[in-house]
Amino acid sequence: MIRYECLELLAAKMTDQLVVTSQSGQRIEWSHLSKHQGNLLVGMMGCAIGVGMGLALALPHRKVIVFDSDGSVLLSLFNLPTLGNLQPKNLTIYVFDNGVYSGSRISYPTATAGSTDLEAMAKAAGIKNAHTVRDIADFKEKGVDALAGNELAFFVCKVEESLMHREIPRPNTDLAENKYTFARYLERTEKKTIPFIGRG
Amino acid sequence: MKEELAKRIVESLKDAGINFVTYLPETRLSQIVPLIRDDPGMELIAAASEQEAVTIAAGATLGGKQAAVYMENTGIYVSSYSLLAVGKQLGVPILLIVGYLGGVGDQRNSFLYATIGNHTIPVLQGLGIEHTLLEDGDRLEVKIGDAVRAANALRGPFALLFAGEFSL
Repeated sequence: MIRYECLELLAAKMTDQLVVTSQSGQRIEWSHLSKHQGNLLVGMMGCAIGVGMGLALALPHRKVIVFDSDGSVLLSLFNLPTLGNLQPKNLTIYVFDNGVYSGSRISYPTATAGSTDLEAMAKAAGIKNAHTVRDIADFKEKGVDALAGNELAFFVCKVEESLMHREIPRPNTDLAENKYTFARYLERTEKKTIPFIGRG
Repeated sequence: MKEELAKRIVESLKDAGINFVTYLPETRLSQIVPLIRDDPGMELIAAASEQEAVTIAAGATLGGKQAAVYMENTGIYVSSYSLLAVGKQLGVPILLIVGYLGGVGDQRNSFLYATIGNHTIPVLQGLGIEHTLLEDGDRLEVKIGDAVRAANALRGPFALLFAGEFSL
């Protein structure tokens, strides 16, 4: 299974969901597929699930989606018990697990290429709706359908290492610019003021 | 600390607009936790790590909340990556309510905490995070209100370090 194929399927379903992307190739691929103002780029690894959780708690009526990587989840394993206990119903997390240190360009195996099972870890932490998907048909059936669900969902998507993100244009959006676009989008769609935005 | 100080901290946080608090408790300020929990105008979220507490607070802020993180100063070290990656780089205001263990003004200082306290302010300065040191209840309400306004104006984390009377 290729990550880009999964993202294409999800992009076709986007309406007013809020999408938080972690730092990895999927950030570039998603930016290529979706120009939606509800996309929030988090510029570093290991932070996107926490930010997505905060958004989901602040806006319990909005669907929040997080795209993350095996490397980021391994950096922030403390998120699993917190998710398991809070169970934010409006949060869906897709972890694209290629099992290698892909960004390092050496592609050595990570823990998930060995004996580490992120789905089992998520379940042990209390995330009942955790699944591993290994092919695109399974992703379409379980992963895409979860967008319509009303339950915390955690998908470990086993993907091949893909370097497609090095062949498509990188997003030219500055992180601060993206943050303000996102916040202004929320102000419009939520009809409320975001406190930190400057008002002249 | 005296119960009255805990009540004044929480009332001041509310008056300053704080309505979402993530936390890992410690010994000096933990009396504020049940007061926040029991306040219908504030949401209290327990985190497994200060690094996580900062990212959840950042997400809530981006979603329109005015968020704070309550932690021990050891949490500054633990969360320094999130403070930089989300707080500073993305520019998200977050109030840090910090039990300042091991500083000179910590009334329960000991060899266990002195090294932790000794490096706290230099680390905050290294991260580019401004702070206010509070050692008594004088102008507490004003100082907390100033800190929240400064965090919003600076679009980043701002630390309140509680020692002195708050550490008794």
